[in-house]
Amino acid sequence: MLFRVIARNELENLYDMLAVNHVVGPVSRGDDTPTPMFDFDFVYDFKELRLDFPSTIHSLKRYVLPPKERFCTFTIQDNDWQKDVDLNAHKPIVYFGVHACDINALNKLDKVLSGSVYPDPYYAAKRKNMFVVGINCNPQPYCFCHSMGTDSALHGFDMFLTDLGDDYFVEIHSAQAFDCINKLNSREPDEQDHIRFLEITDKKLKKFTSHVDNTDLTKILDLEFQSESWKEWGKKCFSCGTCAAVCPTCYCYGITENVDMDLQGASKIKQLYSCNLLDFAEVAGGHNFRPDSYTRLKYRYYHKHRGFVEAFEEPLCVGCGRCGEACLAGITVPEVIASVRDKENNNE
Amino acid sequence: MNKLPFIDVLAGKEEHGRKSDLASFEYTYQAEITNVYSLTNTEKLYQIQIIDPKERQRFCFKPGQFVMLELPGIGEAPFSISSSPLRHGDLELCIRGAGNMTNFLSLVPRGTKVGISGPFGTSFPVEQMYDQNIMLIGGGLGLVPLRAPIFSVLEQRSRYGNIDIIYGSRNPSELLFTYQYDTWRQFDIDLSIIVDEGDETWNGPVGLITSILEERIAAAGDISQNTFAIVCGPPIMFKYVCDMLVKSKMPIQKIFVSLERRMHCGRGKCCRCNIGSTYTCLEGPVFDYWSVLNLKEAI
Amino acid sequence: MSPVERSYLGVPINKPKVAFFEMSSCEGCQLQMLNNEASLLDFLSLVEVVNFREAMTEKGHDYQIAFVEGSITRSDEIDRLKKIRKQADTLVAIGSCACFGGVNQLKNRFELDWVKKEVYGDYPIDTRKVEPLSAHVTVDLEIYGCPIKKEEVERIVTNLVLGKSIEHPKYPICVECKENHNVCLYDLGEPCLGPVTRAGCDSWCPSNRLGCWGCRGPVDEANVTQLKEIMAQHNFTMEQMLDRMECFGGFSEYITEMKK
Repeated sequence: MLFRVIARNELENLYDMLAVNHVVGPVSRGDDTPTPMFDFDFVYDFKELRLDFPSTIHSLKRYVLPPKERFCTFTIQDNDWQKDVDLNAHKPIVYFGVHACDINALNKLDKVLSGSVYPDPYYAAKRKNMFVVGINCNPQPYCFCHSMGTDSALHGFDMFLTDLGDDYFVEIHSAQAFDCINKLNSREPDEQDHIRFLEITDKKLKKFTSHVDNTDLTKILDLEFQSESWKEWGKKCFSCGTCAAVCPTCYCYGITENVDMDLQGASKIKQLYSCNLLDFAEVAGGHNFRPDSYTRLKYRYYHKHRGFVEAFEEPLCVGCGRCGEACLAGITVPEVIASVRDKENNNE
Repeated sequence: MNKLPFIDVLAGKEEHGRKSDLASFEYTYQAEITNVYSLTNTEKLYQIQIIDPKERQRFCFKPGQFVMLELPGIGEAPFSISSSPLRHGDLELCIRGAGNMTNFLSLVPRGTKVGISGPFGTSFPVEQMYDQNIMLIGGGLGLVPLRAPIFSVLEQRSRYGNIDIIYGSRNPSELLFTYQYDTWRQFDIDLSIIVDEGDETWNGPVGLITSILEERIAAAGDISQNTFAIVCGPPIMFKYVCDMLVKSKMPIQKIFVSLERRMHCGRGKCCRCNIGSTYTCLEGPVFDYWSVLNLKEAI
Repeated sequence: MSPVERSYLGVPINKPKVAFFEMSSCEGCQLQMLNNEASLLDFLSLVEVVNFREAMTEKGHDYQIAFVEGSITRSDEIDRLKKIRKQADTLVAIGSCACFGGVNQLKNRFELDWVKKEVYGDYPIDTRKVEPLSAHVTVDLEIYGCPIKKEEVERIVTNLVLGKSIEHPKYPICVECKENHNVCLYDLGEPCLGPVTRAGCDSWCPSNRLGCWGCRGPVDEANVTQLKEIMAQHNFTMEQMLDRMECFGGFSEYITEMKK
């Protein structure tokens, strides 16, 4: 990793340089909401960017895993047909202003979607065409990324900015980013910059108020498979899949196929599908392996905090807290895990 | 700065040896339905041949693996392969009309092109079972995934010890592959068939599959050392069967089962087939009984 | 017009004769069917329309599929509906009125005599308790919405013609709302029945900043008890919530529970 420092007013030049490409960044959403809300969207002017954003409603996921995506089309002729695959990636996109949690979410998705057997080309095609500019964040009351070890990004970005006040501290992680920074007025960081950088990180750590105790969590989830806590949370759950929709790492999906009205073509549609939805585990003939809402909710925790750990040595959760914020029923990861753990303590 | 270059993941040099993998994700073999036989009122046997001769020959699978069968615009679903692995891409799939895709499939004429992808999943380790006795136990539709290992074992009959095939179904009209029983019996095996409810055509045993199993275990004597079991059927059936095998001292790692879940991708991505947090499509559908006990919500 | 010989993957596909009818309704659902010129010709190639008062002069009485809009509010409608049922192989209820009684059933909350007098004065009028089609005949398929969503109907009709079974989404509107990247209506200070209402409309109202009124009826296993709590947490009154739940009739089985 190489480091540089650029002056604050140089940031707009960086943006302009990158803006010959399509740029996605954090923008304000719904000016009439009681509290300001933000989301990622295409940006056409530096002034639209809100780099001070606390968090966004949705993550970057929709750009790499769209909620609905056409996997392929078919041309049908009598009992013969041809299949036409389109990966739906046609241009590189710059993502300007991404927090560490979301970068880590992409890194986790990389492991299962492009790093394991049967790599997913639809994902890979979009992921490979990302230019990611990270930015340091200001932890919110619902953020528990520190517990998940995802409060800092080690890779998976091109450059990462830390706001030092008058300057930005820039971590450079790709040749393209290096090219880019060399065209700006930048300098090597000095001892003072190192101190300022570490101070910012230190301050950030003190701001975390939400925590998840991950100690032996995989075992506790197995021990507490029959815990009553699940049922309590299940009663609240709407089975609406909002948690999975806003989650930066939920990737489960379903496939539907549709015939065109002229009967001359067909398409295969992938729809991101939450494991909380009623028919997620329904099989042909109607049997449902998880008919109760609590069994589906439990499964979601199982997948994220046990199964994924078993497969990749890390949970499929970056502690961004979006699911808890978006859940109308107020189901949050720290509370669910604490309740399941508490049950464990009470039993002893 | 110039425009960022667009990276085509399917073009140019292979990146990390992944290019062919990426290209194959949505690749379907074009195959043709060459023949259809009715086995019962609800099940049909489809002979499906991969059209390209090279692809057909290259298509290799192991007994217990499954393929995804696609009817464009209608649907795609997983089916375990019922034919002998020696036949490569000349497949036989036994399919019950139970949903949109399978019902439409029962209407399409011979010669219709379908899509095949795979093979996917784990298989019954028949090589591990050389010189050993094997009990193949199937209930209902469970004979479908058993048929490939039966072929494998019979084709190399001299490599194995005693072979017991135990098959149960609700009634005689639901028995699958009845036309093959005599052929199988010519291979020096014990084939026992039992139905829950007999009818006027039936003069075989009536009762639960476990009653026949009990007899066969007694006949086999000691099954704690040299015997493997392959079990397939509805969850309730294989729970009782496996319990009985375990009670009779068969080691749990020598009992293999095939589990059924609804896969949407077959490639360890969609999570629809997960049991607990295990992908049935990658780590299954064939599990040893230890893995089943180790899974939450498996049975 | 003679049925064109067509096939799909070698399976012969008939061009069914279809008819559209209305009971008590605004006929807005039928208007929806005509509303998309871009796909109208494809639709007409899929089915042969023999009776559609809103769209054509000819009136054929030989049809296989009948699409019936509206609810039953007069006795003569029962006879007409039964005749349609007798002729049609498949009877499809379209829109909230046909499926649940729709807006019309709001009058069921009051004494029938009072309602009559309030609206028509002393003018003699034949009116009865509002009922969905299913109260009088077997309905083979329901297409929800007030009005129905054209794209959804086109998909359903294509599947009907192909003989595919019709499956409605088993998840609530929230799924589609998130797919459309909307800000949650509750965050905008609006009540919304989205979490308990069956999806399929592509979050039509919420995407236009209008909280869901539940026109498509409850999703399977709707968690209405939890919705009650959430409405209270967001300072919406029981009246506001009931207004929405009672509006289209889909939630009628939950109303008594809610009032407890």
